[in-house]
Amino acid sequence: MEMKILEKGTKFQEPKITPNDFREWVRDNKPHAMEDKTMDAKTAVKKFMKSGDIVSHSGCSFVRIPVAILHEVLRQGIRDLYVAGGTRSYDVNLLTDNGRVSHIDPGYIIGLETLGVPRMTRKIVEQAITKGELTLTEWDNASMAWRHKAAGMGIPFIPVRHMMGADGFKFSGAVKVECPFTKEEVVLVPALYTDVALIHVHESDIYGNARITTGAIVEDWGKVRSAKRVIISTEKIVDTEDIRKQPDRTFVPYFYVDAVVQAPYGSHPGNMPGRYYVDIEHLTEYKNACEDVTGEALKQYYNKYIFGTDSFEEYLQMIGGEKRLKYLEDLEFLRVKPGGAPA
Amino acid sequence: MSEEYNAMELMTIVASRDIEDRKIIYVGTGIPMLVTSLAQKTRNLKITPIFEVGGIGPEMPTLPLSVACSRTTWRALRSADSSEAFEIAQAGFADYAFLGGAQIDKYGNLNSTVLGDYHAPKVRFPGSGGANAFASFAWKTMIIMNHEKRRFVEKVDYITSPGYLDGPGAREKAGLPPGTGPYKVYTTMGTFDFDEKTKRMRLFSLSPGVTVDDAVANTGFELIIPNKVRQTEPPTREELKILREEVDPYRVILGRGEA
Repeated sequence: MEMKILEKGTKFQEPKITPNDFREWVRDNKPHAMEDKTMDAKTAVKKFMKSGDIVSHSGCSFVRIPVAILHEVLRQGIRDLYVAGGTRSYDVNLLTDNGRVSHIDPGYIIGLETLGVPRMTRKIVEQAITKGELTLTEWDNASMAWRHKAAGMGIPFIPVRHMMGADGFKFSGAVKVECPFTKEEVVLVPALYTDVALIHVHESDIYGNARITTGAIVEDWGKVRSAKRVIISTEKIVDTEDIRKQPDRTFVPYFYVDAVVQAPYGSHPGNMPGRYYVDIEHLTEYKNACEDVTGEALKQYYNKYIFGTDSFEEYLQMIGGEKRLKYLEDLEFLRVKPGGAPA
Repeated sequence: MSEEYNAMELMTIVASRDIEDRKIIYVGTGIPMLVTSLAQKTRNLKITPIFEVGGIGPEMPTLPLSVACSRTTWRALRSADSSEAFEIAQAGFADYAFLGGAQIDKYGNLNSTVLGDYHAPKVRFPGSGGANAFASFAWKTMIIMNHEKRRFVEKVDYITSPGYLDGPGAREKAGLPPGTGPYKVYTTMGTFDFDEKTKRMRLFSLSPGVTVDDAVANTGFELIIPNKVRQTEPPTREELKILREEVDPYRVILGRGEA
């Protein structure tokens, strides 16, 4: 009995990393022993990330995104990135706005969801596509989640029951087959392995036993398991004794993790569920800078907040420091209204 | 006594009245969050909203700004991940999905990806997000969007989320789960459903002050016009009050209706 290929997406390609490649990588390179992995963002990026990498980011849109690490990626001049999507927004805009991305597997790109679409980002992406500087393979949030999941399971593909009928299939790398069991048509989406996953969490010990204490998990379990290297940035370092008391709350065990970076407020201007809310004013400042389609205002935004700063701590001072962050914490717990009036 | 309201407020309120109680509803970003939140607050429904990245059954104390934001897991029943959220839908639990889009055609196919050539886009939109899977798995898909001729087109430039594709039986033929598809479309001009036989979009109800001719003139394909056309009840003072004061007091989305 053979499984007949009924249709192929036009972006079909041999996988860059196969399950067997990954198994060998895991055997030879992942940290099998529990060792202290704490380091600063600069060191983590220098050590575990390079131009040309396939990269995935934690969270979604402007929620639990790895901004502290991404600032370092921008400052260190890393480029030519292949972005494994899902719902990406401010985090990937940071990269596309600065011409650092050569390929995206979306998901969702450019937009800030309810906060609208930044004009300059859209213009940059449209022009890069037209010039061939940015290529896309169309997926969607479900197929992307399942592709990471398949990789994490150590299998080469996973069958799904959507994508057929939609043009996303045509511009994807999926194939449609007849199911050998039910005779129904199913779409096979290939496992997606990445070179590096940048994952922001609430708590981690020094070894990388990490927790997402609240909020949607998004695709992060798949992203952690499908990456050759995982950089965890964490709001807080906790004691391993604390992890051992509540093992059911551990999101990632240490052996997936290569670096642990302490980065309080590391998702700003994004939301960190259970800690601080979205900095709407800052995102509005970013969006307003994008209104200038000469790109000048956006350049100034980046020079001011990222290229003109040396560390994320410096950036946090620039956006208003403790007072501002306290306000975002109050906003998260509905203690104040947007603007600061008591709720 | 009727009050002044903008187009966004009108379609949000009309759609919120149609949210069926005791059902599981997948909520896309933007206007669908506004509608679901309004329905929760005005009608005290026992609905379970699910967000694609993991929020299951939240109370949404304020309008979520993102499908992942804290409000989508606030006092929720479970905080899951994306694959689980989509697997729940794929397994058949999604009674409704609620989506927006940039372009729609007579079979309810939705485009939220690109205008013009895919490889040299006139406009590139954010793309599918979770919409393609929602529209494939939900038993009934509800759609909400501005009604303009350039958006209501004979054929969408790109099918992001499948409607009835090119007619009756096409979804099943493509391999999509049977018995699913677009159910209703809420626009600034009225409410539309789909003819059971032809699967083509049909006028269901007209917004206050809108005529059949207006709806036809603003639609780029042939609408089915039933013999008897219903009139949509205008928003009540109570609905407007809750929408403006409790659901979107900062007019994050409602403000867009003023353009």
